[in-house]
This record gives sequence, structure tokens and C-alpha cells, in this order.
Amino acid sequence: MASKAGVLEWFKFRGKGIGYFGYAFQRLSGVVIVFYLYLHYIVLSNLLRGPVTYNDIVGSITYGPYDIFVAFDVLLALVIFYHGANGIRLALNEMGIGLKHNKLFFYLFEVVSMALLVVFLYYAWRFIAVG
Amino acid sequence: MTRTEYEFNVKRKDDGGKVSYSRYMVPKDRISTVLEGLIYITENLDQTLSVRYSCRMEICGSCGMEINGKPRMACSTIASKLGTDKIRVEPLKHYDVVKDLVVDIDPFFEKYREGLPYIIRSDDGNYASELKQTPEEFKEYEKYSMCIKCGLCLDACPIVGTDPDYIGPAAMAGVLRYNLDSRDQGSRYRLEIINGEEGTSRCHFVGECSEACPKGVDPSFAIQLLRSQGLKHELAKIFRRE
Repeated sequence: MASKAGVLEWFKFRGKGIGYFGYAFQRLSGVVIVFYLYLHYIVLSNLLRGPVTYNDIVGSITYGPYDIFVAFDVLLALVIFYHGANGIRLALNEMGIGLKHNKLFFYLFEVVSMALLVVFLYYAWRFIAVG
Repeated sequence: MTRTEYEFNVKRKDDGGKVSYSRYMVPKDRISTVLEGLIYITENLDQTLSVRYSCRMEICGSCGMEINGKPRMACSTIASKLGTDKIRVEPLKHYDVVKDLVVDIDPFFEKYREGLPYIIRSDDGNYASELKQTPEEFKEYEKYSMCIKCGLCLDACPIVGTDPDYIGPAAMAGVLRYNLDSRDQGSRYRLEIINGEEGTSRCHFVGECSEACPKGVDPSFAIQLLRSQGLKHELAKIFRRE
């Protein structure tokens, strides 16, 4: 078509269905995951500066003074669980599975993934609190 | 107090490209559909407003536009069922606006033609009688033959908004319509066209095209079925079955 709208249009949800929300957040979550991947590489690269430096950095972002990163990790887990569940749904769609009940599949996969997220967060919290 | 008028806010674009909104008050007892409201405006309030329409009964596909933010046919949108007295009318997104509510629909038809929307036969076409089809064979593609080429699906599709070269839902529903036709022998030509980056692979199954379709064609479902056909076609090519 001649008229190009731009990616910001993806986030105009008013009057749109759940499929639109699923599409937009699949893209947004994908970008967040790629961003985190590079952030992860940057943190890992501190291994080159020796085990003491690396342990100090990991300790500081887990137990303080920069433990705000734990909150970011929770958000990251939310994004990964959402992205993974929706991705599996779309892969099944591509194989012709669940096409006629696509919306139901979306809700089903997201409810299951959020339940798994809660389990994950419980064990993550225990790991941090108990060690 | 019940208001006796609808407030139409119509997006305008003049010859110089200037965009603005015009407000018109339309008596409720004079109109039923949004299209009737627009006709009332052109006949009684503002003759400079440009609107395209023809059949007024959701057959010709001419009066597609955005009504309160959703792509709809103006002729079949009942004003009283919108749930508000304020009616915002805008031209379809993803199309170039010619004037006011009239958009250039040519790119839509160019894409539609790309899908070879006609019966293709491998013989010479000389038959002693017509090519017969059973009701069951007709049922196979009936749903996809209901498309009125209104272009609402291309407005609704977010992929079209960011990739203008994407062939789009309507053209692919048209491809499936002919691929499922028992008289057709040209599915491999169509699959060659729509297999790939600007065809079925570009669809992310948002489903908005099917939500917008006034005739229940379900292009989003058609594209997923075409993916399956396309995969079989590519595998057949690899294993030299055709």
C-alpha cells in the first residue's frame, strides 16, 4: 500500500481485539529479551576481569546495593513466559492446530504460562532469601 | 435528556493536503445508517464533503471507512447501535487519501490481481459442456468467494501498516478461494506467488482482518490454510512430485 503507518500504530489498542494485543506484545517482549541478552553478555564479560570482580558485581545486583535489578529480573521473567507461551501458540497455529479456537488458545496458554511464572518466582525468591 | 441529533465528526483532506475535522449535526429521525448520515450531510449541510458509495446494501464494497476507530462499511453500520451520539468518521488507514473519505483503492486491486484470482486450466479450454461442480465441492470455497473487495481487511492489518509490499489478507483469501475450486488446476502458480516473505510468511495471525471482514470471509484462517498448502507444494518440489 502507498501509505505507511509505522510501528507506533501497533500499540494503539483502542477498539482492537486480543489478537492485536498478542501481536504487539510479542514484538515488544522480543525486543526486551534481545536487549536483556546483550545486557547479560556485558555482565558476563566481567569474567575477563577476574572472579572477584565478577562475584562483586553479581552480588551487588542480587543482594545490594543495586538489588533493584531483582525487580527487573521479575519483569524479564514475565516477558519471557509471555513470549514463550504465545510463541508456542503461534507455532501450533502454523501447523494448523487450534486455528478454529485461536482466542481460546491464547487465553489458555497465557494462563498456564502465568501459573508457571508464579511457581518460578516462588523458587527464585526462596533461592535469594534462603540461599 | 435524549439528544435528537447525532454529532458527526468527519476527517477532511482538501486538495492541498490540509487535514482537519468538520462537525455536523444530523437529526436522528432522518437517518438509520452512517452512510445515510453522510448522504444527509452532502445533501443538506455541506456539498463539498466527498464520500464514495454505490449499492447501499453491503455488496459493492465502496463505502469502507473508519467509524469510531474501527473499519466498517458505512452502509451497514447502524448509527443507533454504535452506543454513542458522537460518530467519528475517517478514511481507511494504509491507503492514500484522494479527498475527505475517498481513498485510492488501486493498490488493493493490484495486490488482489497478483494472486491470479481466476480459474486456470491446463487444457485448451474447449469443452462439450460446462465444467460441473457438486454442491459439496462448491461448499469447499463458498466462504472465501463472499469477498466484496471492500479493503477493510487491509485497514485492519497491522502488518500492512509497516510493510506496504505485503500482499495482504484479501488477496490471499482470493488465492485460497481458487485453490479450493474443483475446476481449477492452477494452484501451483498461485502458491509460487504467495509462498515467501511478502506472502503467507508475513502474516503473524493477528486476526484483525477476520474481525473487520463484513462478509465473514475469515482471511486470517485462509492464510493459515495456505501455509499448509504452501508447505506441501514446497515439499512436493523437493521430492519431484510435480
